[in-house]
Order: sequence, then structure tokens, then C-alpha cells
Amino acid sequence: MNCEVCQLKELDVEHFEIREVLRCILHTILFHRALGLVRPKDIDLELFEITYVQCGDVELERKIEEKIDQFIDRVEKHPNKKNQICLSFYEVKNKQAAWFNKVERLYWEHWYINLNVAQHPKGHSSKFHHSKLVIGPGDSAAEARSSRRAALEASLRDVLFQIIRFVNEKKDHVPPIPNHEGVSSPYEITISSSSDSAFGMDMFKRMLQTGHPSMLS
Amino acid sequence: MASYHGNTHSSEPAKMEQIITEFFAKSLHIILESRCPYVSSRNYSGEQVLSSPSPSSSSSSSSSFRPRDKWFNLALRDCPAALENIDFWRQSNLEPMIVDVVLVQKPNDWDPFNFSSKRGLTRNLSGKERYCYGSDNDEFGCEGKSEKIIERWVLQYESKKSGGNGGCSSGSKRSSTSSHALYKKSILLLRSLYATVRLLPAYKLFRDIISSAQIRLYNLGHRVSSFVEPFTHREEADMQRFVFTPVDTSCGRLCLSVLYRSSVLDVSSEPTTPISPQFIPEYVGSPMAEPLKRFPSGPVSQSSPSSSPFGRRHSWSYDLYRASPPSVYPSPSPTYSESHASITKQHLHRLPPAGLPRHLHDEPPHMKNPSYDEYWPSPTFSLSPSPSPPTYSPGSHISKALLRSESAPVSIPASRLSSISSLPNNQVMLPSPPMKATRLTISKQDAHASSTVDKLFPFSKGETGKISMVKASSNSSPSKSYSRSSSRLSFQDDYDDSEFSGPFVVDDDDMMDPDGQKSRLAVICPALYAFRNFMHHTLLVVQDDSRRVLINCRLRRLNIERCIEVLIFINLTFSQPLLVDVTRPGSIALPGNASTPHEPVKKSQDAAVGALVRTLKKAPPLRQDISLTTQLVHNSKLETLTNTNEVSLNVESSSSVLVASKTTTDALEELRGYRAMKELLLKQDKLSQE
Repeated sequence: MNCEVCQLKELDVEHFEIREVLRCILHTILFHRALGLVRPKDIDLELFEITYVQCGDVELERKIEEKIDQFIDRVEKHPNKKNQICLSFYEVKNKQAAWFNKVERLYWEHWYINLNVAQHPKGHSSKFHHSKLVIGPGDSAAEARSSRRAALEASLRDVLFQIIRFVNEKKDHVPPIPNHEGVSSPYEITISSSSDSAFGMDMFKRMLQTGHPSMLS
Repeated sequence: MASYHGNTHSSEPAKMEQIITEFFAKSLHIILESRCPYVSSRNYSGEQVLSSPSPSSSSSSSSSFRPRDKWFNLALRDCPAALENIDFWRQSNLEPMIVDVVLVQKPNDWDPFNFSSKRGLTRNLSGKERYCYGSDNDEFGCEGKSEKIIERWVLQYESKKSGGNGGCSSGSKRSSTSSHALYKKSILLLRSLYATVRLLPAYKLFRDIISSAQIRLYNLGHRVSSFVEPFTHREEADMQRFVFTPVDTSCGRLCLSVLYRSSVLDVSSEPTTPISPQFIPEYVGSPMAEPLKRFPSGPVSQSSPSSSPFGRRHSWSYDLYRASPPSVYPSPSPTYSESHASITKQHLHRLPPAGLPRHLHDEPPHMKNPSYDEYWPSPTFSLSPSPSPPTYSPGSHISKALLRSESAPVSIPASRLSSISSLPNNQVMLPSPPMKATRLTISKQDAHASSTVDKLFPFSKGETGKISMVKASSNSSPSKSYSRSSSRLSFQDDYDDSEFSGPFVVDDDDMMDPDGQKSRLAVICPALYAFRNFMHHTLLVVQDDSRRVLINCRLRRLNIERCIEVLIFINLTFSQPLLVDVTRPGSIALPGNASTPHEPVKKSQDAAVGALVRTLKKAPPLRQDISLTTQLVHNSKLETLTNTNEVSLNVESSSSVLVASKTTTDALEELRGYRAMKELLLKQDKLSQE
């Protein structure tokens, strides 16, 4: 089984937007990977005119919130680094032939969510990802903020479509529908923050740690 | 993993076919659930979902899943429209399914003198729009209404021609050919469909429609068919396509794609101009708006010209709960069969005539006045032409109700009313859930016993004569046009003209006009009248029992039939009957139309809304004999509504609803009365046009 990787478009967010953006993305991915019986729940973002779907699983929601907290915590501690969240799906295999009698995770998918958190949300309004946006000194900050917000909304929408496209295009690697109770197949959310240069290395390290050959295929 | 290579036993093709069939059904369900305003996810079963934090936490709620939900492991909310359509489709043999989502829209800057107003031009050219001209095929007979397909979903099973039936099962070389794999991929596809429908622009329209009691100039409808006229190149150029990756099966592939208009948002943004939600509550709660006043029983002079359109007939009280049935019960409607025509065929005017009082036939000659059309470019009152007739189109409800009243009066959902009334917290009325500013619940306590037919609908009980008042005899004098001899038809004479200085300004000239042009009074909701002043048509969205009832009032041609339709619906919807003079040309403020000097030109909608609110506040209460309990939450305008006498305004007391006192008989009576009235007005209309 091969492992698919999806790198989601980087989003420039301000600190206060992290939670909603992450929720939206993580839940959207999980909704597409929760192949058990779900009763979807529509959630409207408060900051953006976007409605995303949760699969309505408390445990899953709790876990996501927890990870988001971790992420925000990390962002606060390491404000100068790029931050990444990786959502990975795996299957659990009991490898009899293994040297260690441990349960092995067979990863079949990684989603990388890339957030670029603006460091001075209030002071430097000029840090927009739309470089064309040049704010005059006394210019209306509100206007700038709203246009930045609109841009982020559009980008977030793009990311959601990116997820949908990916889900559409790559179906073969998805393991069969789980028969067990869990809504979703097993997943983990990991957080990494690093400077730009170390980004790929970090990924690579993690792949080595997980140690499954399929990661490299 | 086993399931991948799983059993290719004999029933495999059958399984596959079943999966495909169910896939169609589920897809349709997903699409309509998020496009068909009636079954809004928020209002309907969605409430449960929202209320309970974890409805689907696997263990606890699994019991609540229905068999249908288990298909593709996706539990959806009820969507009657989808169910009907899919039943129909099932009879076809895996034909393609094309779901058009249609935006039904009224240009809000309708200009009588220049049909193609700016907006109309740009939009009309771009889209696939059809104009209805009030033919028999047009259920609502509204002109100028534009229907534009904003989304076209195409579901198709492309079978491999070569395969043949036998070949289908034999494959199974690849995992993708097994039914398990097909099922898994279908699930994935449906998940992404589910997410996608919420990301497309049309979803915003849907949400706007269902989210509040705001006035909308548009509505969403749908058509399901297996064949559609393809878009022209130009039309298609305006649309974007999203193609879901097809799912291969052993003998074909399952394709799903959508063409959608990305510019829908522009469309919505204009009409969305939030008309402050409060105004509907106030309107509905008009009993609170003004103390019960005794109106002058004789003809009233022009001293209160502006007030006349808002005069309401007290006796016309209609039970709010009556109104709710149509909206509450998404009664399966004839949708599908009519989907091709996209139009409901039920016309009110096709109803068999009821006995008409003769004396009503004298009609003011003003109709001959050529200037009439000038002022009334779009004189038709019409109900929402929404192409998805079943669920929320008021017209169909009304007509159904009327039809029912004839053959099987029992079917008038009186029992439902009582059940509604038993709802806790009085959420029966106009809860307008998402409305943040105002939450209004009105419950009526009908203190009178079930035999209050007279009171409820005095109209039908020999009081038809009063109607003649409605139609007004303005021939002789201008003042007469507003005169109502019956106390029930009286209007407040204490109106201050200044109150209506907004878009509602009435031309004094018109008022004085001796030829009595404006003599015709149609019974209609003042709100509609008011709206006309700044929009010539409007989609009045009323929330009713947490469902929305859409009234599409197009004040185009003075067409009594339409008026009656609107009227009936209004009365079904609101508890009070309302009177509006539809013939006063000057009362329409045409945006941008300066040709009528006295008209306020280009009033902002806000101003119009403000004026409307004022008007509604001023509106006389309709019922004196029935106490209304209105639950008004967060209404900042409450203070203006204080002087209610018999109408009590309170927040909580409304739980004791006495709706049950209304019986089916009552309802039938009322309906009959309306019908009679309609006939009256029709005749009147005919006379006037001669």
C-alpha cells in the first residue's frame, strides 16, 4: 500500500485566526477520512464565510481541539518559526515477524497543513501575503484588514478545494471501510515548527522515525 | 484488506447496481438538502444535530440512524424533495440525473419605463433565464421574474458499451471493480460532494434564504430531470466546472460533475441588503404595534391618505397557526412530475368560483386610465414562482389548501396546529432561528371557542358586503377611494403624514385625483405595499415555525387574482389581514424614476425599511376579539409598541397556546371566504378592465 502525501497551500494567518483555520482544515480532512457512519455537522466559520463539515464525533473533535491548543502554544513559544501540522492516517498491523513485538503503524496518508503566522498581528499590518497591498500610513487599517481577511478566506477556500480534489483523485490507497466502531481510521496529528530550511529535514526525520518503508515509496 | 479482493460471487453485479442506484439517491439528497430552502438543515432535523453536541458519537446515537442513513455511512437530514425525486428517478433505468439549481429572482430596480434596467440587462443576458408572462403555464404569472440556473449537477453512469451484462461481473482483476471498492469510492465521492456543495457560491444563497427573515429578492429552486437543454456556449462560459473524479466500476463508471456560476455572490449581495429583521416581527406582531383602535366606520376623507393603504380589516383575523401548516409540513409536492415544466400548475385562479356577492361588482372605471400602467408597470401580484414548488412555494400551498378545502376539508391540518401549539416555548411562530437581532414568537391565544367562525372569518358569514368597502368606491371622490364603510375596514385616521415621509410618501395629487384612479383597494399586506415603494417586487421571507415561507410578491400588474393569492397567503401567514390600496399609482416610488415628481426618488432601501417599520408600527391591530400573545425577544423597538390594550405583549406567557380552538370547520370557512373574496375581486377586476 502506498502512502500519499498532500501538502496544503500555505496560509498566512494572524494569531487569532489560527484556531478557526485549523479547525476548518482538520475537520474537513477528517470528514473525508471518516468512512464510518457519520452524521455530518455543518459548521460556519465565524471569521470567514465558509461552511465546513465535521463528522460529528466528540472524541475526534476533542482531539483536534487539543492539538490546536498545542499548536497555538507552540506558535507562542516559537514565534519566528514556520509551523506545520501533519495529519497522518495509518493502519495498525501486528507484525509477527517484527523484532520488537510491537504494533506497527502503516501510514497511508499524510496531510501537511502549513500556516504562516503573522508575528505582529497588530503592529505590522503591512505584512500581507498579497504584496500588492501597500498600506498608506494613515490608511484605513480596517480596510486593509478586511481585504486581508478576504484574501485569507479565498486561500482557505482554495485549501478546502485542494483537499476535496485530493480526496477525489486518490482513492485507491485508502484502506477499506473500517468495520470497527471508530468513525475514522486511526490518525495522528503532529506539530512541527522549524525554520524554512529545516522544514524538509524535519519531515524526513519523522519519516525515518516512523520507519515504515511505505513512507518512502 | 480482504474486502478489496473480496467475493466476486454471483450477486456482484446486482450489488454494484444497487450501489450505483443508491449513489444517485444519496447524491441527489446531498445536493437538494443544501439547496432546497424548505428543508433547511438548520431548521429541520438539523436542530437536533445542533442541539446535541455529539449526535453521531458512534455508540450513543447509532440507534437513531435510519436504514437510509447507513448507505454510504452518511446520515442526512430529511429532504422530502429529494425523496420524491429519487423515487421518480428510480423508475428510470439508471438514466443520467441532472439537477438544476435555479435562482429565481426579481430585479429590484425594475423600471417600468425601461424594461431593461441596468441590472436586468447585465444579468439577463448572461444567464439562462426565462421570463414568464403569466400564461397558464406560469404558476404565478409574474413577469420579469428571472430564473437562472446557477448550478447544474450531472450524475451519470457511463456503462461500457462493450461489456454487456455478462461482462460486468467477470472482471474483478482490479480492486476497483469489486463492489467493496466501488462502495468505498462512492463513500469518498459522496463525502467530497457533501463538502463541496457547501463551498460553492450557491450555498451562500441557500443560507441567506434559510438563515433569517430577511427580505429576499430571490429564491432557490431546483429541477431534476434526465435530460436538459444544454447550455449555450455563452452561458457555459459564465460557469465553472468542477468534475469529481469518476469512479470506475467493472462495467462502467460513475461520473459526477457540476457546472456552477461563480458570480452568484454578486447577485445575492444586492438583494441581501438586509432589511432589518425586526420589521417582520413588528409587522406580524402588529397587534402590539398599535392599540386597538376603532376606526371610523364611514368613508374617510383624505385627511389620512397615506394611512389608507395600511388600513387593515379587523375582522380578517387569521390564525397564525393556520398559516403554519403549509410551511410546517413540507408536504410532498408534485415537484417531480412538474420538474420539467418547473412550474407548479396549481393556480388559484383555477379554483372553481364561489358565490359572489353582486354588489361588489361595481368597479371604479379608473382602470381605463392610461396612466395607470404608467404608474404600475408591473401590476401583478404574484406569489413566488419558485420552481421547486413543493416544499416552500407559497402558491402551491395555498392552492393546495384551497383545493383541499373543497374536496376534503378535513385535510386542513387543524390537528397539526394543535400539535404545533403544544410545542414548548411557543416556537411555533416566526422563530427565525438564526436571526440574531430579533427573535419573535407569536402565539395566539384564541380565547374564543371553536365556534368563532364569525370572528375568525366574518367575511364568509354574510359580511361579504364589507368587501365592497375594500374594493372602494372611488369613482366619485378621491377620498372615497379609501373609504371603508365597515368598521372592520377602517383605517387609522390619526396617521401623521410625516410618518410616511420616506419612500411611502403618497402623492397628494394622486390622493386628490378626482377620477379615482387609485380607487381600487386590494387586500394585501401593507408590508407588500410598502415594499413596493422601493422594490417592485419582493420576496418576503417569513419564518414560520422555524421554517420559512416565502412570499414572492411582485407588484407588477394590477391583477386582482394575484392580489388575492398574495392576500390569502398573507393571511395564512400572518395573523392579520391587511388592506392595501393597490391602485394608487403615486404610491409607488420607482427607484430612479423621476418622472413622477411627487415620488421620492431613489430612496435608499434602508430608508424604505425604516419607513416600513414605522408603518408597521402604526398599523392598526386587526383583531380585537382575539388576544395575541407575542413573544418578542431582543426587540429594540419594543418601546414603540407599548400601547397595546387587548393585546398582551410578554415574553413567556405565550406557552399556553389555544390554537386548538380552531377547527377544521373554521379553516374551511376561512378558505371559503377567501375564495369568495377572490372571486369578488376577480369580477371587479374584469369590470374595471372593460
